[in-house]
Amino acid sequence: MIDQFLLGLSVVMQPNVLVYAFIGVFIGQLIGVLPGIGAVTAISLLLPVTFYLDATTSMIMLGGIYYGSQYGGSIASILLNLPGTPSSVVTCLEGYPLSRDNRAGLALFVAAFSSFVGGMIGVAILVLAAIPMTVIALRFGAPEYAMLVVLGLLAASLIGTGSQIRSFAMVVLGIALGLVGADQTTGYYRFVAMPELADGISLVSLAMGLFGISEIIRHAAVRSPPGSPLPIGIRDVLPTRAQARSLAMPILRGSAVGSFFGTLPGTGAAIASFMSYAMERRFSRTPEKFGKGHLPGLAAPEAANNAAAQTGFIPTLTLGIPGDVVMALIIGALILNGIVPGPRLMTEQPELFWGVIASFFVGNIILLLINIPLIRLWVLLLRIPYQKLYPVIIVMICVGVYSHRTSVTDVVLTLAFGVLGYLMKNYRFEPAPVLLGFVLGPLLEDNFRRAMLIYRGDFTVFVTRPISAILVACSMALIAFAIWSGIRACRRAVRSSH
Amino acid sequence: MIKTLLTALPLALALAAPSVAQEFPDRSLRIVHGFGAGGNADTVSRIMAEAMSAELGQPVVVESRPGAGGTVASGYVAGEDGDGYTMQLLVGGHAVAAALYNELPYDSVNDFTFLSTLGQFPFFVAARAGEYESITDLIEQARANPGSIIVGHSGVGSTQNLTGELLDLQTGAEFIHVPYQGGAAAATALLGGEVNMIIDTGTVITGQAEAGVFDVLAVTSAERWPDAPDVPTLSETVAPGFDVMSWTALGAPAGVPDDVVAILSGAIANALSQPDVQERIAALGAAPGGSTGAELQALIERQIAVWTEVIDAAGIERR
Repeated sequence: MIDQFLLGLSVVMQPNVLVYAFIGVFIGQLIGVLPGIGAVTAISLLLPVTFYLDATTSMIMLGGIYYGSQYGGSIASILLNLPGTPSSVVTCLEGYPLSRDNRAGLALFVAAFSSFVGGMIGVAILVLAAIPMTVIALRFGAPEYAMLVVLGLLAASLIGTGSQIRSFAMVVLGIALGLVGADQTTGYYRFVAMPELADGISLVSLAMGLFGISEIIRHAAVRSPPGSPLPIGIRDVLPTRAQARSLAMPILRGSAVGSFFGTLPGTGAAIASFMSYAMERRFSRTPEKFGKGHLPGLAAPEAANNAAAQTGFIPTLTLGIPGDVVMALIIGALILNGIVPGPRLMTEQPELFWGVIASFFVGNIILLLINIPLIRLWVLLLRIPYQKLYPVIIVMICVGVYSHRTSVTDVVLTLAFGVLGYLMKNYRFEPAPVLLGFVLGPLLEDNFRRAMLIYRGDFTVFVTRPISAILVACSMALIAFAIWSGIRACRRAVRSSH
Repeated sequence: MIKTLLTALPLALALAAPSVAQEFPDRSLRIVHGFGAGGNADTVSRIMAEAMSAELGQPVVVESRPGAGGTVASGYVAGEDGDGYTMQLLVGGHAVAAALYNELPYDSVNDFTFLSTLGQFPFFVAARAGEYESITDLIEQARANPGSIIVGHSGVGSTQNLTGELLDLQTGAEFIHVPYQGGAAAATALLGGEVNMIIDTGTVITGQAEAGVFDVLAVTSAERWPDAPDVPTLSETVAPGFDVMSWTALGAPAGVPDDVVAILSGAIANALSQPDVQERIAALGAAPGGSTGAELQALIERQIAVWTEVIDAAGIERR
């Protein structure tokens, strides 16, 4: 493994390859910051450029855009409550309160550093365990996915800060929104009020509306940012020793969760970040601090989504089968270069395979190096008065959302979701559970119905297949734990009242 | 003064020229398609745009209007002027949509001027290596034990799905058809052992087949495919007369004048004759090849009829 990794490094360290690795992560970082414009848009725009590059350099550049955008995505989330990528929705939850509290610099540093550690752990797993991880991923069939999503929904049921029932209502709203479009099992149209909705509501437009636009509406009345000059000295950016110590475990846990979810084709970074956030809250001794700018709640999901962005390449590289749209585009670049992606890529094109992996290693270091100095600049952005900043941001959101599917309907919907998000905040409903339901609901439905089709309506399949059974057991344990801690809290309340 | 006049003279001539010559095309053209940027349809559009721009001496812009299986783009193009400046990249899905949708905002044949096919490609039937001796073996097992063979496909109403249903109808195999989100997910399910067979394009299957992970059992075209001469056709083995090929083509809104059609068709033919263009289309798994507009229209009409029959017989929900 190490020899091959060194071979990869020797490929990346060629100056012309290194330049494209830098271009890739830099563009990725940039489009991650821009609200609404995702890696898909950037990669498809740059795909024609790869006609003129060789396969290895193309993949290194396009891959860099992908994980670079995960880094960039956290910046707009922290500063402006604008999730630049779906996976950075969770970053908003703790990052934005920190920024409102004049601690944007610290939040950006923690996000960048957690991303770096998560990314590096993801790369390490890619180097050391790509094949075993592939074997595990292939054992995930429809029943396993369905039960995994159930576990995810359960674990995340505490993701909101308000009351359980409100958060549950929002999950259901999210699921309903996720059902719009053609039903995957029968092709039947559900809630398709107009033809433009046939492919469903776009996740980007929902996230941008509920988080970004609603926040802008809320601040429309406020004149300017909080008066006090923003602290941007190096001491304001670095965490204290105690803070740093409290972050070590969350970052490691986040990286582990992210590395695992990344390898499952089709789930990816967004679910990884939701899951790790929910897990931190579960394990935390101070769950009441979450939602108000708690650093571990920022660090863990950041580590998770960047680890997932790296291990997401495992099925793509080892099987030659793309896990999601971004991977499909990257594989497309290989095909255009006359390389047939498949399981033999590793043995037949070792320089490409290991060169790409080594480029992730180098790319993560580049990203850390360009991110730390930029923190100062990003924080200065907050000094721009709202009345000048917000119109620009609204235009950027509209352009970003439009660029996804070149759909005007999506832009109008984004603005409508903004109003919805504003009303929800006024009535103390959280937007995060809506997104969770939106992402996980359809995934559960598809896989549950697929499992029922394949196993002819036999429900026992969920407990007779080993991995599925383990997931069911985890869900049960989680429910038991919730009941037990509920009873304990009740008893304590009774005892203290005596 | 004289200097100014001398500068202005060529400019005035240049401005006057188009109204004198009335040559088509005198401004930029565009190719609209109904799929995401970066997908195969987009790539073919860009290859053709580049080559046709060189032929016609005007820029050709690619415009993506994705949605509802390409029908959003078709509806848009059907409503544009048939002046030849707007073209559409059509794919096999155009014929499928005509059969699958209850109410399309356009007539799939009469609202279009068909120009030329660009390439055709078959689908391949694949299973895990060593699981079945041959396609005949697979179909016999299916018939002996109805409902035992699970076919993964790339989505309800996709050409891959309908091809599987057609095979089912012609052989009486009684497959269970399971939808996945795209061919890649179906291929992963085949690798993981969740389904027994998939039907998809060479781009999805070839890599796994070359690595010895999948066996390619059959090809859906009437004749054996030149790139895979050892793979038997469905027609010669289990389903006599079976012939499914998907295609990409160029069309335009209805009513393009004949002389403009001639100019466009000429440009397409010249573009397709370039080795570079052929190579890049072939890299996407298709056999590059042009046709007349009438041949393209006949192909589309034939496929609409076949798919309508399959959708009725298989009981697939119309949209």
